[in-house]
Amino acid sequence: MSSTGDSKRFGFPDDDIGPAHDSRRAAIEYDASQQKASDSSSEVSYKHMGWKGIDEPPDDDYEPEMGIQKREPIPEDDLDMTPMIDVTFLLLIFFMVTASFTLQQSFEQPPAKSDEPSTNVAETEEVEDDYIEVLIDQNNTYYITTRDVEELEAPSDTEMRTQVLDAKSSSNATRLIITAHVDSFHRKLVAVWDTGLLAGLQMEIKTTEEDY
Amino acid sequence: MADEDPIELRNGRRNKEDAELDMTAMIDVTFLLLAFFVVVSKMDPQKTIDLPLASVTFNVPEKNCVVMVATADAETETFKVYKGSAMNEADLVSLDDPDLLEEEVGAYVEGEFSLHPTKEAVLIKGEGDVRTGLIEMIKRGVNLSELAKSRKIHVAVEEK
Repeated sequence: MSSTGDSKRFGFPDDDIGPAHDSRRAAIEYDASQQKASDSSSEVSYKHMGWKGIDEPPDDDYEPEMGIQKREPIPEDDLDMTPMIDVTFLLLIFFMVTASFTLQQSFEQPPAKSDEPSTNVAETEEVEDDYIEVLIDQNNTYYITTRDVEELEAPSDTEMRTQVLDAKSSSNATRLIITAHVDSFHRKLVAVWDTGLLAGLQMEIKTTEEDY
Repeated sequence: MADEDPIELRNGRRNKEDAELDMTAMIDVTFLLLAFFVVVSKMDPQKTIDLPLASVTFNVPEKNCVVMVATADAETETFKVYKGSAMNEADLVSLDDPDLLEEEVGAYVEGEFSLHPTKEAVLIKGEGDVRTGLIEMIKRGVNLSELAKSRKIHVAVEEK
């Protein structure tokens, strides 16, 4: 082997195959011979001599299988846990999803007061404690009336929010009166209600058909 | 060792191994995906309600509520009020006459509460573009129901 390998390695024209082909085969054979040489120093050579390596089972108590009696208990290590884990995750996800979707985030609001939408009720109520009034007009603009300021305009939700929170902190207002035009967006009313909850104010809602 | 390297493996030894692959894991994953898509596709009709956003919210179990839904088409400025969260065309409330609307809502709420006395509240799911007046009308309709007077009214929002 080594003599032919050597001859091929150097590309000697002792074969019918073309020189390019020849040299490649020679290279592979050379590699293989190298590997064998390195392996022969370790376990491979022992295996040839009958040594079976450490990982093979000892032969001492090995019994040949005898027909029907060959049933052996399945070793517990062989149980595959993957499907069980998969199913468990499936159930987990299912219950998580169903649990979270039965709940609806919401506000509790008082029932509507009168049959006729009007602001006239506001004047009849006694106003002894401090309050903040937010008006939402037909163009969805906020007007905030406090003890100090009359009808301060707030075009955006954030401005309304800061103004209401400022008014709350600068006075001892406990109530928030929301007057919404019937054509204003529900979203705007919810924004004011949200602000009122944030400020910890007692709230009441009125609707009006008057344009501003 | 040396003769088991790539050249030998191309001769189809791998194919025999493939035939013995355990299908259980693949089937499990398939069921997982199936369940996922079933759930996702069911959520869609609920998501179409464009609820107003809020930061301070409370959770209320929808099962314990009589639900009214009000939707708005922003382009045509038309509104729809449904009895129940299913939003079927058959459950539409006529908006022609405010008084009739209130009566219809009141009758529906009353009927629901007498059918399911354990329900605790009325939940109004109104889209952000619905007019305040319409929500107020629904509330007044709820007020017409005697059984609803002892119960609370919730307005659905979505957390910011």
